[in-house]
Amino acid sequence: MSAEEAHRDSAEVAARVERRWATFAVIIIVGMALLAAFAGIHSATMPQPRVETTDPSRLHLSGEFVESNLGSVLETNGNVTVRAIGQQYSFTPACILVPADTPITLRATSADVVHGILIQGTNVNTMLVPGYISEQLMHFAKTGDYLMPCQEFCSFGHEGMWGKVKVIDKTEFADRAKSGGRLSCVGQ
Amino acid sequence: MLANRKLILAHFWLAFAVFGVALTLGAWQMFIRSPIGTWLSNPELYYRSLTAHGTVMGYVFPTLVAMGFGYAISESALKQRLVGVRWAWAGFWLIVAGSIMAIIPIALGRASVLYTFYPPLIGNVFYYLGVVLVVVGSWIWVALMSINLRLWRKAHPGAPVPLAMFANVAGSYLWAWTAVGAALELLLQIIPVAAGLKTTIDAGLARVFFSWTLHAIVYFWLMPTYIAYYTIVPRAIGGRVYSDTMARISFTLFLVVAMPIGMHHTFADPQVGAGFKFIHSAFTALVALPTLLTVFTICASVEIAARLRGGRGMFGWIRALPWDNPMMLALAFSFVMLGFGGAGGLINMSYQLDASIHNTQWITGHFHLIFGGAIVIMYFAIAYDLWPHLTGRELLDLRLIRIQLWLWFVGMMVTTFPWHWVGILGMPRRMAYFDFGDPAIAPQALSVTLSAIGGFILLASGILFLVILARGMRAPQADAGPYCFAVAVHEPATVPVALNTHALWVALMIGLTVTNYGYPILTLALNEGTSVPAVYVGAQ
Amino acid sequence: MSARDLFTFRNRHFRAAVGVTAAILIVTVIGGFIVLPFAQPWVQFANAWDAICSAAGLPQRTAIVAAPEQTGRLSEVVLTSSTLSRSSQEAIGRGATLAQRCAICHGPTGISRADSPNLAGQYSAVIYKELHDFRSGARTNAVMSPFAVNLTDQEIADLSNYYAYLPRLPAYHPTPQLPKPNIVIYGAPMRGIAPCGSCHGSLDNKIGSPWLEGQSEAYMKAQLQAFASGERRNDISQQMRNIARAMTPQEIEQAAAYYASQPADVVKAVD
Repeated sequence: MSAEEAHRDSAEVAARVERRWATFAVIIIVGMALLAAFAGIHSATMPQPRVETTDPSRLHLSGEFVESNLGSVLETNGNVTVRAIGQQYSFTPACILVPADTPITLRATSADVVHGILIQGTNVNTMLVPGYISEQLMHFAKTGDYLMPCQEFCSFGHEGMWGKVKVIDKTEFADRAKSGGRLSCVGQ
Repeated sequence: MLANRKLILAHFWLAFAVFGVALTLGAWQMFIRSPIGTWLSNPELYYRSLTAHGTVMGYVFPTLVAMGFGYAISESALKQRLVGVRWAWAGFWLIVAGSIMAIIPIALGRASVLYTFYPPLIGNVFYYLGVVLVVVGSWIWVALMSINLRLWRKAHPGAPVPLAMFANVAGSYLWAWTAVGAALELLLQIIPVAAGLKTTIDAGLARVFFSWTLHAIVYFWLMPTYIAYYTIVPRAIGGRVYSDTMARISFTLFLVVAMPIGMHHTFADPQVGAGFKFIHSAFTALVALPTLLTVFTICASVEIAARLRGGRGMFGWIRALPWDNPMMLALAFSFVMLGFGGAGGLINMSYQLDASIHNTQWITGHFHLIFGGAIVIMYFAIAYDLWPHLTGRELLDLRLIRIQLWLWFVGMMVTTFPWHWVGILGMPRRMAYFDFGDPAIAPQALSVTLSAIGGFILLASGILFLVILARGMRAPQADAGPYCFAVAVHEPATVPVALNTHALWVALMIGLTVTNYGYPILTLALNEGTSVPAVYVGAQ
Repeated sequence: MSARDLFTFRNRHFRAAVGVTAAILIVTVIGGFIVLPFAQPWVQFANAWDAICSAAGLPQRTAIVAAPEQTGRLSEVVLTSSTLSRSSQEAIGRGATLAQRCAICHGPTGISRADSPNLAGQYSAVIYKELHDFRSGARTNAVMSPFAVNLTDQEIADLSNYYAYLPRLPAYHPTPQLPKPNIVIYGAPMRGIAPCGSCHGSLDNKIGSPWLEGQSEAYMKAQLQAFASGERRNDISQQMRNIARAMTPQEIEQAAAYYASQPADVVKAVD
């Protein structure tokens, strides 16, 4: 065997090993992508299904984010809808009241700049971009208090923008909901 | 010998000088918002510092390193004098001018909007103009790299382009295209508002434009590091590149899939459709491929070096590696950090997992580990490797260099691991202070303190790095010989045209940008109703 | 070899690269636009086209939602950074004439001898918003409301420009300058209180928020208490009620006393 042939043989070996490794790498990646898709459909959060727009400077005049409509409402099907806004430098309602063990839809938007809602210890995490409405499904297994900081820089008071979420028992929530209006735990 | 040493040295010195300043700011930020610091009576100072730190580390420092390294590669790999030296200086001075123009409003507190801009917050117009100048300066470099390669091709028809230059030009094309997103955001959206010509801006569209830049820019930062992996490390430790073809494929893959994935930064955003989020998520998974290929090829190349040095056994060869060689040390540290950082990145790319850490301190931990860790430690290695060729003097104190690399590695680990952890606990990003006295977040205090200590270790390492380089300017003269790159085990006699030119991959990159970004951008841009009033920050 | 040899399906690299890219794109498009929307049973789409448009992110206007009646009148002012951004000498002159009737309480130079707010040099958007709110009844005051009801939009704008134009003069009730209390410097992050200055001028000005230096202590204390109790509700979307409610009575006193003791000219000029 000449030196040149040996060279060619070893090049082929190298190419074969590489191909094997590349195949392996592709399998890893495809596996991960499938895992993510499966988890998304069956047990975790999914991106909001629609893009909805709104005018941030007129939220308080009409539409679903007027002051009297902010807070939690028990829908006829037993689900709960929470409407909230972020603004420099607070959330309204500043304390969100929700029941445990109930499918909840959070609908929120920003009245001025980009904010974010993050409920610590949960998967609830969404941006509030002025002009657009954010929607996220939530579900709390346990009652208790959660912190809800703003997670995006929103100018110089950002460090003071912390809200709260209070999860209470399902029946207690239903009791409070009887009186109508929108619920929150502000001032409690 | 490199002909334009002054040009290259100017780029490196400016890069590392601004890096030193931004590093100091970073360490101060870590300290001041940790439990060992005291709350700032003016939180704006924190955001001011953060804006400077991000702008320098994101736009100025890596760009200058890539440019300086690129000129060095062009001269040494192609073995031809750089064409367009005057233009290169013009690009350099544009970056100097842009940096000064941007840093003045930042220093005055007129542009504390952070380096990610995020309108409708609007700062002083000169901040944005300065950033534009920096980008324009770097585009001159892109053009020069392309022209120099073209001239070489004319002189060497059909010959394989040296790997280092092939990768370097791929990196420059990636930068040229990825910078377009932020450029469009700045020129079409932000600057008209900052200059007072308009009063409304589409914040959602701006975030989409920025995501175009923000992810692929990381791969532009990564390019010099990967070039060093493939073409410097094997030579420095006495090995060979395992496969020239695989290296080329990795770089072309970066060119194609680094771009159309940026929307994984907007998973939690309300202005992007779920379908596009899914497409970007899938393409983000693909970007792991070139990295996995690289890890394999480099480990194999390193193994060759070990076996040539008499290493034996399944894993026994690892002991035979030249561990006292700074390049070897830097590579190992870089790989460890790339491994952890990459694993974290796999979490960020999946919509479902991202929700639990989006915009928390996890994210800052992640990109500091990847960029500040895996990438920057190789910038150090590149500088150490090039310095004798640039100064004509030897870097004598290898022990000091090893200490510097160790400090950086340990510092980065101590900084970023607790950082990831508090992110999982839900600690938000970019806050000037935290009330660790409150029982709800008191458990995070220890982790944040550790991070701050890590920050000081990094600062010490950074200072040591500058000292080593400065001392290298005054060491005894020694001829370092020609600057050369690693050779492959099987040097290619010919390379298929697809892997010897960039055209196909650039076309795919642009094509995928159109398919993955075209509709979201157009639909937001054409929708008048989504523009919102600008909010001017600080004094106008 | 030239571009012509590269960009042809005869080139196997071209075939592979374009083929694989297109295949991935097609698979992900089908996954993202068709499979995933329908894999979420909790989301209702009108039809397949609606699902595809939604997945693509076509902006939609929100469906009308029936909101409960507001109890009492709330502010209807729309404030943006361009509100009253241009003032003219004529507007200021007209405002000066109108301002004569304000002088009894707010002082001839815009500095009050009583516990009414000092208006000289106040941000124009603040005066604009409060006058509109007094006029609409979103904010009420026995003395102020009757003055405001008859003002026209033009008159409100002129008054706002006039007072914003006046120089900030020292207040009439000077006290020794007090040290800054923690609630003013730092706020109280975990209670959702940002530093006062992040809206009220010394750090930044949130449009519609007044600067407070040298204002009457009694006035500021009363307003904070009114916000906290919900008696005053003309702050848009509760931006000030959220803060005042979270403050302790002691913090309210400290903040009011501190701001009253400050000379008006130290407010960072941001308007």
